[in-house]
Amino acid sequence: MFTAPILGQILVTGISLSAIYILVSLGFTLLFGIMRVVNFAHGAFAMLGGYALFYIYGEWEVPYLLAAPLAALTVAFGSLVLERLVFRWFYQKMFQSMIGLLGLDMAIMFTAVMIWEPHERLVPAPISTVFQVGPLFISGNKLVVIGVAAITLVAFYVFTHFTRYGLAMRATAQDVEMAEVQAVNTDRVYVLSFLIAIFMAALAGGFYAQTYVLSPFMGERVLMMAFIAVILGGMGSIPGVALGGLILGLSESFLGTFYGGTTSVFIIFGAVILLLIFRPWGLLGTPET
Amino acid sequence: MSTTTLSSSASRAASGLMSGASAFGVKAALALLLTVVFAGLPLVTTAQFTMSLGTTLMIMAIAAVSLHLIIRTGHVSLAHAAFMGLGAYAAVLGTTQFSLPFPLALLAAFLVPAAAALVLGPLLLRLSGKYFVLVTFLVGEIIRLVFVSWQSFTGGANGIFGIPLPYGFLESPVAYYYFVFAFTALSMAFVARLLQSEVGRSIDAIREENRLAECSGIPVLSVKVAIFVIACGMVGVAGALSAFFIRYIDPTSFSIIQSLNLVVMNIVGGMYQMAGAVIGVLFFVILPEFLRGYVELQRVIFGVCLVVVMAFLPGGIVQLVARLRQLVATRRGAEG
Repeated sequence: MFTAPILGQILVTGISLSAIYILVSLGFTLLFGIMRVVNFAHGAFAMLGGYALFYIYGEWEVPYLLAAPLAALTVAFGSLVLERLVFRWFYQKMFQSMIGLLGLDMAIMFTAVMIWEPHERLVPAPISTVFQVGPLFISGNKLVVIGVAAITLVAFYVFTHFTRYGLAMRATAQDVEMAEVQAVNTDRVYVLSFLIAIFMAALAGGFYAQTYVLSPFMGERVLMMAFIAVILGGMGSIPGVALGGLILGLSESFLGTFYGGTTSVFIIFGAVILLLIFRPWGLLGTPET
Repeated sequence: MSTTTLSSSASRAASGLMSGASAFGVKAALALLLTVVFAGLPLVTTAQFTMSLGTTLMIMAIAAVSLHLIIRTGHVSLAHAAFMGLGAYAAVLGTTQFSLPFPLALLAAFLVPAAAALVLGPLLLRLSGKYFVLVTFLVGEIIRLVFVSWQSFTGGANGIFGIPLPYGFLESPVAYYYFVFAFTALSMAFVARLLQSEVGRSIDAIREENRLAECSGIPVLSVKVAIFVIACGMVGVAGALSAFFIRYIDPTSFSIIQSLNLVVMNIVGGMYQMAGAVIGVLFFVILPEFLRGYVELQRVIFGVCLVVVMAFLPGGIVQLVARLRQLVATRRGAEG
């Protein structure tokens, strides 16, 4: 059962899942860290990303490497309307944001049901080739997902650490008032972080819809996974998100293969609840004072 | 912190209500009015539609008011519908699988979710606001998954249908209406009395300032756990009443969406006033009746309501009323 080829297979699947989860939860944690907003509508944006990819790649057949970022960009810029109308009222109001954005989640989800009907669709895979490396069979799909996610994450790291706006973002995350005193335009930082967060969520949503299936309700599961990754790593901590997403993706792949999907959900949820009770600030977060 | 500002604005709204000379009188009058209307409704009409709407209203009122108890301690639970489901499944499986007599099955509907709450409460209620919301979200999902995956016992995703009524006389919609009425009246009276009592004041103190309450000698965690247990038991009974009313249960009726509905009712009505929960129920059970056949649109409207209320009026409809009253009062003051 635990032979090297099977474990290798699980590792590849796990990493491609991790890539999706890290992208989603990075955006989630960004919104929390900078705007103090708990974005319960994050899964809804991932779902919109799935539909965008469905049309741009599946229907209009734009080349995949162009279609994936284009779909995510469309969702991100389209969502600026929501930033203006909804999110702006909730910045720095953690509790209200949680409940209000739950409402937004419900509104987006059921608007999607009205537009696209509740039935499930398939987003075609970019490449159907399967590579054989020794005893391992690696689907090209997963490699594309891992590759695009890795590029995005590296770009994000470079942006936050080596550009002026990245510096402004980090300063705002640390202390809004001090950042403003240093002439950081926090409004602009908010819009920028919102764009980045939604872009990553929508990109991940496209991958997720490709890996599983596209439906208006797929956001719920994505949201739950983002929660779990963020809780595992610690809310607001970016290295924490990477660690949490990796643990989550690998354990889902491992437990799912050997013990079935339901058992894996029970075990993961149970473990997260225990962690929350004994160490609510997560593995790499810092306790609030 | 945001929670404190929120609750302090709500308490300002509350004091605004109180400043009206007869605030207590208004509430008593509202309670009396609702009692008379609901008790007398079958005398006016016994149409199937009215009876079933009335029964649904009353069942949801128990559920929403029990969630109100938890919210009053400063925690928003997203697992409340799951506890409702525990009660429903306990009562239905109690009568069908274990052939319990009906009163005992109703007792089980209270005890099973209450026991679950007693186990989970001491662990969950230590968490601060946002973590509590996240964990209850997961707990609710786990409970729903148990309903779905324990197929041999719960009927899985298909649920259980053709639930037999315990007594023949409950077949008549009017009889079942009064049966539920008794439970609702009892629950409302109990919650209202509890909130008026010293325990109620401790609850408000805990929400407003946790540590200060602890310093004043309130056993914070014990009070929170006790309230959580009572509330989950109550919603379990509501679940059982609804199961024997619809005579069908399935896991989707107790999902996160249903929990959210309960939260919506509480928040739109007014989070920190019992009247808020009651107004919320009236609003959100009657409103959908006008949107029948547009279930999705209904949900969208619910969602938008949540956004609007949270952004502009965190104290809900109750706060709006209080503001209007204040406005009228200052106008009068200016004239006089």
